[in-house]
Amino acid sequence: MKQYSDLEFLRLSKWQRFCYKFLAFFAAIPRAIANFFINIGKGIKKCCLRVAAEFRDIGQTFVNGDWKTKVSFLVMGFGNLTHGQILRGVMFLLFEAVFIFYMIFTGGYWLSMLPSLGKQGPTNDYDAIYDSYTTHYHDNSFKILLYGVLTIFFIVAFIYTWRMNVKQCKIIDQITKKGGKLKGSRDDLRSLVDESFYKTLLALPLTGILVFTVLPIVFMILVAFTNYDGAHNGFSNNLFTWVGLDNFNTLFSWQSAGGGQSYSATFGEILTWTLIWAFLATFTNYFLGMFVAMMINKKGIRLKKMWRTILVLTVAIPQFISLLYVSKMFARNGLINLALGPQGLGWISQPLPFWEDPTWARVTVILVNVWIGIPYLMLITTGILMNIPADLYESAKIDGANAWQQYRKITLPYMLFITGPYLLTSFTGNMNNFNVIYLLTGGAPTNPAASGAAGSVGYTDLLITWLFKITTGAESQYYLASVVGIMVFVVVAVISLVVYNVLPSIKNEEDYQ
Amino acid sequence: MSKNENTSKRHMGIKAANRLSNGAIYVLLILISVIWLIPFVFIVLQSFRVESTYQVGYVVPHQWGLQNYINLWNSDFKRWYLNTFIIALASAVLVTIIQLCMSYTLSRFRFKMRGPLMRFMLILGMFPGMLTMIILYRVLSDLGLTQANAVPGLILVGFASSGMGYYVSKGFFDTISRSLDEAARVDGATRLQVLYKIILPLAKPIVIYTILTAFMGPWGDYVFARYVAFGTSAGYNVAVGMYSWLTNDQINRMYTTFCAGGVIVAVPVTILFLCLQKYYVEGVTGGAVKG
Amino acid sequence: MKKLIALLLALTMAFALVACGGNGDAGTGGEGGSGDLAGTYKVTIWCPEATVEMTKAQVAAFNSSNTMGITIDATVEPVSEADAATNMIQDVSAGADLFFFAQDQLSRMIQAGAVGKLGTSAAQFARDNNNAASILAAQSGTDLFAYPLTADNGFFMYYDKSVVPDSDVDSLEAIIADCEKANKNFSYELENAWYNAGVFFGTGCHSQWVTDNDGNFISIDDDFNSDKGLIAAKGIYKLVSSPIYVNSSNADFASGSAVVVTGTWNYATIKSQLGDNFGVADLPSFEVDGQSYHLGSYSGCKLLGVKPQSDAKKNAAINQLAQYLTGKDCQLQRAWDPVEGKTPNGQAENGGFGWGPSNKEALQDPIVTNNPALIALNAQNEYAVPQPNIHGSWWDIAKVITTDIKASDGSDAALKAALQKYADSIQAVFEISDEVKNAFTVIGSINGDSWSLDLPMTQDGDIWTSNEAYTMDVGVEFKCRQGMSWDVAYPADNFVVETAGTYKIQLNAATGEVTLIPA
Repeated sequence: MKQYSDLEFLRLSKWQRFCYKFLAFFAAIPRAIANFFINIGKGIKKCCLRVAAEFRDIGQTFVNGDWKTKVSFLVMGFGNLTHGQILRGVMFLLFEAVFIFYMIFTGGYWLSMLPSLGKQGPTNDYDAIYDSYTTHYHDNSFKILLYGVLTIFFIVAFIYTWRMNVKQCKIIDQITKKGGKLKGSRDDLRSLVDESFYKTLLALPLTGILVFTVLPIVFMILVAFTNYDGAHNGFSNNLFTWVGLDNFNTLFSWQSAGGGQSYSATFGEILTWTLIWAFLATFTNYFLGMFVAMMINKKGIRLKKMWRTILVLTVAIPQFISLLYVSKMFARNGLINLALGPQGLGWISQPLPFWEDPTWARVTVILVNVWIGIPYLMLITTGILMNIPADLYESAKIDGANAWQQYRKITLPYMLFITGPYLLTSFTGNMNNFNVIYLLTGGAPTNPAASGAAGSVGYTDLLITWLFKITTGAESQYYLASVVGIMVFVVVAVISLVVYNVLPSIKNEEDYQ
Repeated sequence: MSKNENTSKRHMGIKAANRLSNGAIYVLLILISVIWLIPFVFIVLQSFRVESTYQVGYVVPHQWGLQNYINLWNSDFKRWYLNTFIIALASAVLVTIIQLCMSYTLSRFRFKMRGPLMRFMLILGMFPGMLTMIILYRVLSDLGLTQANAVPGLILVGFASSGMGYYVSKGFFDTISRSLDEAARVDGATRLQVLYKIILPLAKPIVIYTILTAFMGPWGDYVFARYVAFGTSAGYNVAVGMYSWLTNDQINRMYTTFCAGGVIVAVPVTILFLCLQKYYVEGVTGGAVKG
Repeated sequence: MKKLIALLLALTMAFALVACGGNGDAGTGGEGGSGDLAGTYKVTIWCPEATVEMTKAQVAAFNSSNTMGITIDATVEPVSEADAATNMIQDVSAGADLFFFAQDQLSRMIQAGAVGKLGTSAAQFARDNNNAASILAAQSGTDLFAYPLTADNGFFMYYDKSVVPDSDVDSLEAIIADCEKANKNFSYELENAWYNAGVFFGTGCHSQWVTDNDGNFISIDDDFNSDKGLIAAKGIYKLVSSPIYVNSSNADFASGSAVVVTGTWNYATIKSQLGDNFGVADLPSFEVDGQSYHLGSYSGCKLLGVKPQSDAKKNAAINQLAQYLTGKDCQLQRAWDPVEGKTPNGQAENGGFGWGPSNKEALQDPIVTNNPALIALNAQNEYAVPQPNIHGSWWDIAKVITTDIKASDGSDAALKAALQKYADSIQAVFEISDEVKNAFTVIGSINGDSWSLDLPMTQDGDIWTSNEAYTMDVGVEFKCRQGMSWDVAYPADNFVVETAGTYKIQLNAATGEVTLIPA
């Protein structure tokens, strides 16, 4: 690849710059990968050094500390308590008590079962007195995995807190040796609304994210390495267990999985459509939304508020109503086909295959998405359009630029500059746009060749709706859903990385005075 | 003289062209408005149809009546509506608090973990949320918050993970000058005082925007709500309950009832939205783009 | 162990007979266990939305009529048959105790541990009272896992009398001609395996999955890819190549169809769409090479499943309720004609649904024999194949046959290719375990069988010996084949028995030599 000097680079047209950046990104990938591994190596080394330093520090604290410090190693918060820092001391002590209590009564069991994910599945017995079969449940792989992970989280938190406790003792030692004054409970509380106010503010949101987002994601990543599915649900039939990388092999093997098509081919097909859909959905909405906004914004157009209000209805009305209704409207037996058909206007003799023909369905989905999406874009762009300095247009007019030229030279670059990040999030959002596809078509029409692999795959299925079908479909292959979910993450991450690497550079070089 | 004439001619030409293009724009706008309104007008009209309950090829009912609304009243719809309303109200309060805490902090404070934290959440956000459905169900089920108790369960999950959606309001807070805070700090105000005395009054649009979106979200929540409330009508929200009316075995009996339900759900939400539209626009333009 | 259970069982049965000798309630059948069932039980029931009110009334009737002292405190929730399986599998512990579901979900439910095996007397009750096809639907291996609720999950033909005269309804060709003349559609969802398999059954083909007692699929026996299958393919081509063919099983009369192949569930809607022109009949015949073949179908069932319980007493009580709900009276209440009839007690709002019963006595009742849709269903049932447990992916594989036929030019070669693709796909999806794949079996005309049954053999090194000795006449032919396929089979030509006698069959897998060992 040709390397440009800075000066040469500045001479290039915008498009060329973009291409150059784009290619440069990919050319840099091998080195980036190499760097990645080098950095990992460095990171490990750093980590080891850090851990060693920590241990040395802990050791020194123990050796140099007084008896109170030494007791603190076992009874957390003892140092704080004896030095009058009641609040901190009580918190440490309480945490330790809860931790020990938890580990003895439940945590130990979950942890011990984690390697096997359970030993005894449900048993069936015949009860002669009542002439009936009874089922008794034993280990639950799902809970073992869930609470096992939670227990590990807890242990990590405990180690961290214990380390904090030791650090505190060291600080107390140092301050008391110098004869300084320790912070009391009152100071601690005050700092929570002042210097450490951020801790107060973040405590609740971050706990929520940890439990309801991080934990589930960690869990689901782990599921990708088990055989958890409908036939191994871990409780009411067979237990599930670890299977290593088998599931990734299944997804990436080119071997036919039945129905004449392999998982990887099915995955590739759906991924392709997902990307096409995300691209079209994002850019049709973007340009048409901008166009509508410009029309309404144009000087001399009256009733601006009314037009906006009408359009905004699709944002206001819950999607499950508008999309489900539209989906039924376009159905074979729906309003449109009936109205145009022999018993209505008689324009068509055969119902139009809106949801039955792959191409029709894909086009209809995109058109309906325009209906749903334009108003949002219109709102966003209206504000930005009004922020474009009017004198830019004035001077362009004096130079004799027509409307199209003004759009090309002023409006579009300005918009792209401001909305660049938004376009990216909107693209990845559309990749995962479950609602529109699920409520409109449910993935239909069925793609027979791909369906042999997993679930009933349709031509309008996105990866996200496929994932949903895998989990709720005939075989409930949760493990496969996890693998697909991880792949969705990889795809989104790669796209974001590429765009982020290309985008800021464009930003910096744009020059608006 | 001649020059003046020229400009006035050009002016008139521009005016004429302007009028022409404005005319074209009006035609387009009317066309667009019609397309946008058609489905909604149809829903309303069909909700008053009495003579048949399935899909037909005409829009204006042959026989008008409130039968579909009476059917709604006699079904579990009341319960679903109440459930949804409770969830919407609760999340309007709780989600707003969480998101404002999160966005304000990340916009105003510079602490050691801020960068890693934001990067970490960006990465977390790239995982499809669908994946976590199964596990969240189990967590709720262990807490006893599923099926008939789905309402508190949905509220809990809704607000607990809402911290991830801080981007829009953070973008807005970023636009409020930090010199205001610093001035107040110099005057001896604590961070807490700065927040509720100075920032919050200025952030009114984004607060209302957050409340509005948090309130509207639950009205359309289908997949997870269904997964949590499965098989227990008392725990359904409107989307879950009404979805089944359009499945193949019920659509021929319930189609017009669905339309009636759609009207009842959409009208209050839409009116609320239109009233607060101004703030919504400020929110999306102030936050979404810069965020 | 088995013997012990059997002994216990016999003892219990005897005891039960003595214990409940006098007061057995005629309405509810099987009372096997000796335990006292009196008590109040909280039970959740999932049934389709339309049947909720009726089910509540039926539970109340059970409470007041049963003589065992059972009181059911029931929560009845609307959950469609299609959703029941998905919901149960999502979380068995939170699922309903009793649920209506479609039979094709049975093995999935068994595997998930969502339905429990019926006790001995409960199974006997179900077998005694329901027709054979519905029992087949409720069993896996030799065990029963659910109670038949209906036997109406089949399809037949509704038609518009103004387009298709009654005289034409026996001939597919005549109907197609009528529709083409009137430019009206023929709705027949042939791009769905449930419907297109019927065409194959009509020409004498069969397709049977075999399941074991744990709901696992063991093997498939299928001859769609044969000469008979080719005839069926030609029949399918006849319809799908016509411009009036529509792949649908909805009540399409409002959108330009004159014929719709569908089931009882669309009866009321279609009746209101067609009014006086309403016509209903069994499926027509089609003609290939001068010979006529009646279109076949699947006949399937809805089942009532009982969730596995830890408490034997509760389980027994729930089973009593289940037996009542699937008994004659309740089935008849559901069978009532939703269009013409009034309800059994004359109330309009609790009307029936026209569900065809599986109960033997109910099938003879005038409610059933006077319902036009059920008459057509019963007429079609003569050509129907009872729907067994079917592997989930079969549906997706088999429906492609029609798609391929539709895309083809209708030539024999193209049709054969479509069938071959189907056969290959099935081979691919059905992953035979190594054990089965390597095992040899005997197949042939032994015991009057016509090459359909694989008889097991036991391995000793390279030597495989049949488990049993068979009495064979002169001229009986067989082969030993590996993995139930013909890729490896000995001897190359069929082994023909030359001397009548009783023999074990022995195969040397290394040499391929087959010998008879007199027993």
